[in-house]
Amino acid sequence: MTATGRSALLGAALLGLVVVAVLSVGIGAHAIAPGEVVRALLGEGNPSDRAVVLDIRMPRAVLAIGVGAALAVGGVLVQALSRNALAEPGVLGVTAGAGFAIAVGSSFGLAASAPIELGLAVLGAFGASALVYAVGSRSPLRLVLAGTALSAVLLGLTLGLRLLFPDTFDVYRFWSVGSLAGREQAPTTVPLIVIGLSLLGAFAVSRQLNAIALGETVAHTLGANVARVRTVTLLLITLMAGAATALAGPILFVGLIVPHLARRVAGASIPWLIAFAALLGPVLMLAADVGSRVLLPTGEVPVAIVTAFLGGPVLIWAVRKYGAAPL
Amino acid sequence: MRTTRTRRLAGAIALALTVATAATACGAGEDGKADDGGQTRVFAADNGQITIPVSPKRVIATGYAVPALLEAGAPLVGVSSWKRGIPLFNEQERKKYDELAKVAGESASETNYEAIAQADPDLIVIGVPKPVLADIDIKRLEAIAPVVAIGPSVPSMWRELSRKQADAAGATAGFDALKTAYDTKAKALAEKYKAVVPQLKLGHVGAYGEVAKGNFQREFNGSWGTNIAQDIGATYYGQVKVKGGGSKDVSEYPSIEELPTAFAQADAITYSVAADGSVPPPVKYVLDSPLWKELPAVKAGKVYPFRYTEAATYRAATSTLDAVDQAFAPLLKQ
Amino acid sequence: MNALVLRRGRFSARIERRTLVFLVAMLVVIAGLTLLGLCYGAAWASPARVFAALTGSGGGPGVVIREWRLPRVLAGLVFGAALGLAGAIFQNVTRNPLGSPDVIGLDAGAYTGALFAITVLSGTSTQLTIGSVLGGVITAAIVYALSLGGGLSGLRLIVIGIAINAMLTALNSWIVLRAELEIAIAAVGWNAGSLNGVGWDDVAIPFGVLAVLFAVLFTRAPALHQAALGGALAVTTGVRWDRLRLALVLIGVGCTATVTAVAGPIAFIALAAPQIGRRLARTPGIALLPAALTGAVLLTSADLAAQMLLAPESLPVGVVSTVIGGGYLIWLLTKEVRRT
Repeated sequence: MTATGRSALLGAALLGLVVVAVLSVGIGAHAIAPGEVVRALLGEGNPSDRAVVLDIRMPRAVLAIGVGAALAVGGVLVQALSRNALAEPGVLGVTAGAGFAIAVGSSFGLAASAPIELGLAVLGAFGASALVYAVGSRSPLRLVLAGTALSAVLLGLTLGLRLLFPDTFDVYRFWSVGSLAGREQAPTTVPLIVIGLSLLGAFAVSRQLNAIALGETVAHTLGANVARVRTVTLLLITLMAGAATALAGPILFVGLIVPHLARRVAGASIPWLIAFAALLGPVLMLAADVGSRVLLPTGEVPVAIVTAFLGGPVLIWAVRKYGAAPL
Repeated sequence: MRTTRTRRLAGAIALALTVATAATACGAGEDGKADDGGQTRVFAADNGQITIPVSPKRVIATGYAVPALLEAGAPLVGVSSWKRGIPLFNEQERKKYDELAKVAGESASETNYEAIAQADPDLIVIGVPKPVLADIDIKRLEAIAPVVAIGPSVPSMWRELSRKQADAAGATAGFDALKTAYDTKAKALAEKYKAVVPQLKLGHVGAYGEVAKGNFQREFNGSWGTNIAQDIGATYYGQVKVKGGGSKDVSEYPSIEELPTAFAQADAITYSVAADGSVPPPVKYVLDSPLWKELPAVKAGKVYPFRYTEAATYRAATSTLDAVDQAFAPLLKQ
Repeated sequence: MNALVLRRGRFSARIERRTLVFLVAMLVVIAGLTLLGLCYGAAWASPARVFAALTGSGGGPGVVIREWRLPRVLAGLVFGAALGLAGAIFQNVTRNPLGSPDVIGLDAGAYTGALFAITVLSGTSTQLTIGSVLGGVITAAIVYALSLGGGLSGLRLIVIGIAINAMLTALNSWIVLRAELEIAIAAVGWNAGSLNGVGWDDVAIPFGVLAVLFAVLFTRAPALHQAALGGALAVTTGVRWDRLRLALVLIGVGCTATVTAVAGPIAFIALAAPQIGRRLARTPGIALLPAALTGAVLLTSADLAAQMLLAPESLPVGVVSTVIGGGYLIWLLTKEVRRT
């Protein structure tokens, strides 16, 4: 695909993003007519509708965009780094670490409010991935194995805590199904800024990642400082995936599917992959979020479930049609 | 390489020897069973018609039966771990709970059959809902002592439930005393508030268990937060949109966006708080929401917090009555 | 001399020396764990009493040992071996160290079946067992069917398994989320896997089924080793790779489903035991016997730890096995890193 072709597709993706974002602001549990929605956006209309559109749905749409971009780009980076097409950010132990921190905090009676939960999740995510990196930084396979092993250990410990303390059980079972709902009162500004900065960082490191994808020796001859690029990339993945998981809870498929979809369009070029992932991820998240609000007659389906049932069949179809495409 | 292998083999043998030595050093355990030649009667429980002793002397309680039998003063020799009841215990009950042997964990699959056998009971009362019974090996328990399963269904059923559990354990005397105390107080409070409370269209924001983020728990008549207040004359208007059996018939979880429509007609709104008065996160989410401030009841200042709303026994419910009294006091001053 | 060669008539077997050492060491550990398991309980029994009970006398305490502890300890050994073997089979067939019955959605499917039994039906023990077996087997069949056709490679099986696993896990979480708290706790407790309350009538049939599966696997083992260099090469040496692979997968699924039906899903033993066994016995590929022995040791010691840690409350064995298996694997990985 030519560069012009890719740019055109990128533009189309951006347009799609805007459309879905508008949809997401207009649809919700409390039906508001489109005209009223526009008036609310402009600051007029009745105060309840205004509160719903501006204070509840808008922050939620922004959150969806941030989390979607973070998970998708994190997926691209982790697949490039581990050279494994099945890797997704959680494989580094980030998700299990966040969940474990929440379980521990709640067992000590700490996870009482949204900011504390957020802080605990971030701590856990970072701690786990630091440990995984310490054990498995030498080779991609070891990284994935270490991440899987640590995730399993943390999940086991979390399970033990949940079965000993019913309160922890309750807190965890609601946190563990990722959802974008009800976060408008949580301090989401800092994590979203972190995600934004990490996205920029991902672009900065993307060219050098291209070289590494060809193998370490080739990368050396091409002048890339492999060790440093690897460390920086891991840090970026941790920041993005950790922030996203802390904000929304575990949402498993976005980091796995979007890189595959982006690869159809962008080929193997990492900068283009990141660009497409940064747009397709939010589109997927927003679409799933809208779906989560309309699927059931009453109540919502958490967005992680919608993405699982969207992503699963897509992945199966892709693998059957195209084979398990290597990087 | 040879040394590593030899070391490994030596280590394994040493481990096995240590284990064997440790086992030898332990004493033997006797496992006798006292035979109770007392009278028996037939009792209707969730698991059928069970023959139980008329006055059991050694009772094991699990699940919801733990607080009920602790309060009623049944002769307990062992209980399951029941952490969620601890905030509602008074000092006496807490002391007794701490002293009793724990024979099972919070989940039914962690029942320690040997510990139960060792406690030598003549009656086992299981207070968990029916589907949970699948995790318990009832046959093995029945080999130790008669087993009655009496589990919860709808929240307001606790009155009936705790009576049945106390009845099975032969502790009806203690139970009746507590029930009478509760009924007397409820009647007195209904008198006290009869001019102000029954006329209010009430809505309740609940906090029973966790609530999914972005939702709130609305409780109607007969639910956890409302059924005790109903005993003094409060009525909570409305119905659930979709009935789902059990507690889903009397409470639902709408999205926060529906807060205005849900409580548009409420004259006053009550909400659950923790035993120490702090506001639980699901309720705090509602109170901090911009939609809350627009509600007519909130604008009129008619919002009242209730403590001890998870009470499932008569003694605990008496504390709830006191809490409701405290909360509604401002109504009398108007 | 690095190998022991046994010859008797037409039958000859060659056993590497280091494998022999490993076997002896494991058997000793297993004997020790068995004794410990039979002695431990709400009341400690001395080994003398244990032996008395095993030979038929011993009265009251003897009943506890024979009827309650012995089936539990044996279940730990046999089920652990079955899980280890299932893991070894899957890792061989998919040629991936992460290939295990857990990854292809077997456990998630069993959980879905069990949740259906608990939340939709009335949740009796029999319904749980049938539901979990049906759920697991149907899921495995779907994954296998979807991965057929057009040059089946291990990677495709794993990818499809991951997709189905993720969907089922999401569905299971959703069901648990909507359930009442007690039912949710019971469901999650089942899903953690437990050997608590396992008696002779629970394990009689599973032991029989597993014995048959083990025997069939034993006859297939030489062909499996021939196939270690790849399916294409195996075919040239006379191995019917397609039929072998199907038979192996069926045996692996059978082992896992049988264990799950009795004890619930005990994750991670199938994943960790072959890896740990391979490193301990220093075999070139994923060998079956070390995997089986390691699995037996892992599960039995996890069960003992689960009973002892918070006595008299016991933890589900799946919690402990995950922590032990994962921790040991991390330690092994760290050791490897330091050596290179």
